[in-house]
Order: sequence, then C-alpha cells, then structure tokens
Amino acid sequence: MPILETVKRKVMGNKPSEDAIKKALSKVVDPDLHVDIVTLGFVKKISIGPMGKVDLGIQLTTPACPAKDMMAKQIEEEVGAIPGVSGVNVEFTADTTRSRSKLNPDVMAALGQVKNIIAVASGKGGVGKSTSTVNLAYALAASGSKVGILDADVHGPSVPLMTGAKDPTEVHGKMIVPPEVGGVKVISVGMFNKDGKANIMRGPMTSQIIRQFLTQISWGELDYLLIDYPPGTGDIQLTLSQMAPISGAVLVTTPQEVALLDVRKAVEMFASTKVPILGVVETMSYFVCDGCEKRHPIFKEGGGQKVAEEHGVKLLGSIPMEMGVSECGDSGRPIVSSAPDSASAKAYREASGKVAAQLSILNSQAGEGLVSFNLDWK
Amino acid sequence: MENRAEENIQIKDIKQADSRTLAILWTDNRDCRYDVVDLRRRCPCAACIDEWTKKPILNPEDVSEDVRPVNIHSIGRYAIGISFSDGHSSGIYSFRYLRHLNR
Repeated sequence: MPILETVKRKVMGNKPSEDAIKKALSKVVDPDLHVDIVTLGFVKKISIGPMGKVDLGIQLTTPACPAKDMMAKQIEEEVGAIPGVSGVNVEFTADTTRSRSKLNPDVMAALGQVKNIIAVASGKGGVGKSTSTVNLAYALAASGSKVGILDADVHGPSVPLMTGAKDPTEVHGKMIVPPEVGGVKVISVGMFNKDGKANIMRGPMTSQIIRQFLTQISWGELDYLLIDYPPGTGDIQLTLSQMAPISGAVLVTTPQEVALLDVRKAVEMFASTKVPILGVVETMSYFVCDGCEKRHPIFKEGGGQKVAEEHGVKLLGSIPMEMGVSECGDSGRPIVSSAPDSASAKAYREASGKVAAQLSILNSQAGEGLVSFNLDWK
Repeated sequence: MENRAEENIQIKDIKQADSRTLAILWTDNRDCRYDVVDLRRRCPCAACIDEWTKKPILNPEDVSEDVRPVNIHSIGRYAIGISFSDGHSSGIYSFRYLRHLNR
C-alpha cells in the first residue's frame, strides 16, 4: 500500500469511505440490464459501522430476480475487498411499481396495486396454456412474489380444478375478494357458473363479463397477475388487451407446425395492441420415458426455438411431457409445488425467472410512458 | 414501414393545452398539438371511414366547430379513445395514427 494511503488511514481511522464502496459496487453489473447497479440507482442504502461493518440496501425491480444470489456474492466480494471492511451485509428489496397515476378509476380500484400484468396466451387450444399459467404463477410465488391468477378462459375455465381453488366467499362493498390457495390468489370464470353447462355466449356478453372481471375483483397488492387468456385471437383477447394495462405476454405453444402457425397470429395480435411479448414457452417438447430415461421428442424438435427466433423473442422454456404434469393438474396441485424436483417443475421455475427478468428489463426501459390515463375535457 | 424504435413510442404526458387543443408529449420527446375539432373530423372508426375502400363517409362540414371532447382515455398500450360532445365515441386513435396526423 502506498505510504500516503497508509498515513491517511492511520489519521482517519480504518473506516472505509462511502465513495470507495460505491466505486466497488459500480463493478457489479445487472446480468439482464447490462448496466451496473449504481448507475441503475439500485443502491438505496450504504451504512458503515464503527468496526468497518458495511450494511447495504439494494433495490431490485423484481423480488423474483433470478440473479439475486449471484449478485449478492459479487457484491460481498467487491465490497469485502476494500481495506477496512470487516463484513458485508446485503439486504434486497424489490420495487416493481410503475407510473399508474392516471388509471381509469374503476380499473384503478381493482388493479391499482398490481405491479405487473402478464397475459398467458396461445394461438390454439390444447397446448397446455392453463397448466403453464398455473405453474408459472406458483413458481413466481415460490420465489417470494405476491401472485394472482385471473382465469379469463370464458369458454373452458380449468384453473379452479388445477389449483383446487374454492369459490370466493368474501365481498368488500362491490368488490369480490379472491380466494387464496397456497399463497396464490385465484379468480376464475368457472367460479360463477355452477351448473357445469358449457358457457355459450355471444361476443358482447363475454366482453361484459371480462369488464366485470377487470373492475370488480379486489386483488390488493400483487407483484404479478397472470391472466389465462382463452385460446385464439378473437374478441375476448382484444377486449382484455384493451381494458387491462398488460405489461407483457407469454405465448404457449407445442412444437407442431399448426400450433406454431397459430402462435404467429397471436404475436401479430399483441403487436397490434402494442403489448410486448416476453417470450415463448414450448410445452410437450419431449417425453421422458420412465423405463429408459431417454428423451423422446414426440413432435418436431426446436419448433419453439424457431418461432422465438423468428419474432426476436426469448424461448422461456421447453417443458417435457411427464406423467406427473397432467396428473398433478387434475388433482389440484401444480407440479412445481407437488413435485418440485421433476424435470417439468425445474423447467417452469427457470421459465418464471426469465419472465421476471424480461419484465424488469421492460420496466426499466419503458418507465417513461404512461401505462394508462383518463382525461376529462374542461 | 416505420422502424422498430417508432413501434415502441408511448405517451409520456397528455393534457388539455387550451379550449380546443390537445397536447401530447411522446416518449421520444416530440411535442404534438392536435385541434380537437380536426380530430373529430378525422375519426378513424368504421362509421366515419369505409373499412374496405378507406373512403371517408363522414362529411367534415357536418361536424360543428363547437364539438369538444368530453373524456379522453387510454386503450390498452397502443391507442386513445375520445368521447365527443356530439355523442360520438367509437374512434380508436392509435399512437401510430396520431403520430401520422402530426407529421
């Protein structure tokens, strides 16, 4: 160490300076945003104890940040290397809020405290969209986020069966309080149609139901609300994208050509309503045989990857076909909760981390734009 | 075809500038002013412009100089909706259309 430095340290005591800590922290780069955490304004608190113990408060854009542990380690290393630092304590907080000051009042009452709204959509039915919605939701919840599911599949609501959610019993004024199962708030069209008959409805009726769903549910504070879209690209999907300030969309597809073709239509639909695509989840990617452990790609391989590349979006995950996935779904316990070590659960967890990462990238980029506004002319 | 950056442009601020002017500040910092009577005359809805031939159905002279918005609100993340004092409210003014109008 240079003599001057040593002398200075002796005179001033061995306490590290805040600037030195900031300089060390500026070497830590957020892996998704590719910008250091000081520039991003993530460093909210630096406190230096008398014995050289450093307490840091780091605010991330999502509590489900997949790189949290990696960043913590890096911060400890960088700051710990500063002379005079005896210990480093990192505390993470998350701020997923964006500017929503001008939301419509009725939408505000229902969705004002919901930080991110994710549309889960598919071009065609039967690709595992509801299964994916439920498992992504429970994976996000498992990483510490407050999560809700809105099952808007008016013609075939399956989320109550898959989660075991009971009907809502509580009402706050005009607002319905969603029931909670395993820490996730769940509301489904299926909860309001008791006779088990098919929901045969014309367009205007379904639009009316969607409107009620978006304005009369008391979600409270949520980090993520996942909306299970009905399959296809019709009236209801458009109403949802027009009424709710959707943060981004996850597209679910199987690897077959037909499904991929329909995904393209879904991409175009979201593009026309300027909803950013967070990525593609490919289901039924391969089958893991319980006898030989070999991966059997039943359909074509790499379809999800292809469609993702074509549209410049991320492949969020490839979910294998496992006996457990649908069995767990039918028994009301999503596979990420009931069999967390299975290949499917792992794939869903990874995908949920990527969804959270994509959202925080979007939030930090598009922070300036108004999400929603309502202006009365005078 | 507009470039990708244009695709991502959103509204940063929207306000009433005077009794008949709407002011929109876009995220690329372009500040646009719109005459609200002109907006009513250029309503893009299917009742005002033929969906197939794109020929105007609405005669601009039928729109009174006194028409004003009652309410302006966001539609999804891509457009604004305007309810006018003459009862017309079916126009969806996409950001793209608004930026095109004020070029």
